[in-house]
Amino acid sequence: MNKKQNIDKLIDEAINSIDDVERAQPKPYLLTRIQARLNKKTDTGWEKAGWLIGRPVVAISGLVILMLVNTVAIVLNRAENFTAVTEQATQPGNDEFSYTVATIYDIENTEP
Amino acid sequence: MVDQSEVLITKLKQGDQSGFTTVMELYQDMVYNTAIGIVQNADDADDITQEVFVQVYLSIQSFKGESKLSTWLYRITISKALDHEKKKKRKKRFAFVQSLFGSHDEERHHPVEFNHPGVQLEKKEKAGELFNALKQLPDKQRIAFTLHKLEGQSYQEIAAIMNTSLFAVESLMGRAKTNLKKILRNYYQGKTSV
Repeated sequence: MNKKQNIDKLIDEAINSIDDVERAQPKPYLLTRIQARLNKKTDTGWEKAGWLIGRPVVAISGLVILMLVNTVAIVLNRAENFTAVTEQATQPGNDEFSYTVATIYDIENTEP
Repeated sequence: MVDQSEVLITKLKQGDQSGFTTVMELYQDMVYNTAIGIVQNADDADDITQEVFVQVYLSIQSFKGESKLSTWLYRITISKALDHEKKKKRKKRFAFVQSLFGSHDEERHHPVEFNHPGVQLEKKEKAGELFNALKQLPDKQRIAFTLHKLEGQSYQEIAAIMNTSLFAVESLMGRAKTNLKKILRNYYQGKTSV
């Protein structure tokens, strides 16, 4: 038998080696271990909260709300700043054109 | 006549403990055998089996009965086993990074050759080589091959489990066998040339 035929035989043997395999069985007392896990799971409220927060719908909704709140806050803040700046900018103009400012004529014409 | 699995599902949905115990007794070997075929580690498979039944208990209300109970269980098992593998790979990567910084834990991170407990003694060596080759297959091919060879599922049932067509399963199995032969050929050629 040549080398190639020998390798083909080995390959076939390997592939057919699990043809009549029996089902593997878990260790005993599986039910007890599962019940212990279930008790542990139901005890922790944080896991439930984590599961709820981790759900895509909840997580995405939360993110959208957070972004909306941030956007509204930024827009409001900008609007406030803009009003303050325009108020500041118009102040010198008001002073310049104010009717109450004393002029040279007021000083000279003291008599009515 | 009402199907036995329908009665079981109703019992499970009502939170009946005896229903859960019966489901476990009926399907624990199926779940464990599938898990061990995918993750190739007895302790990990035991862990996955527990996770599967916990998930069944917690999410039975979402089971609509559109598929068989066994099909649903296979899907949960496969998904848990693949998740488990991903986590393990992440850990391995982390261990590799750790080893770069001087922490050597060779024994813990080197995989041991897997021996399926259901394989006959005289075929253990060959089966070990096959399982090693199986690890190198893409997930879908590996799942289809495992379900067919280890669980004895028909192509039709595999198509239902994997939510795909019969033609796709036939194609997956064909590619799995071709790839396995290629991997094994390289392995034996290397072995005989030494």
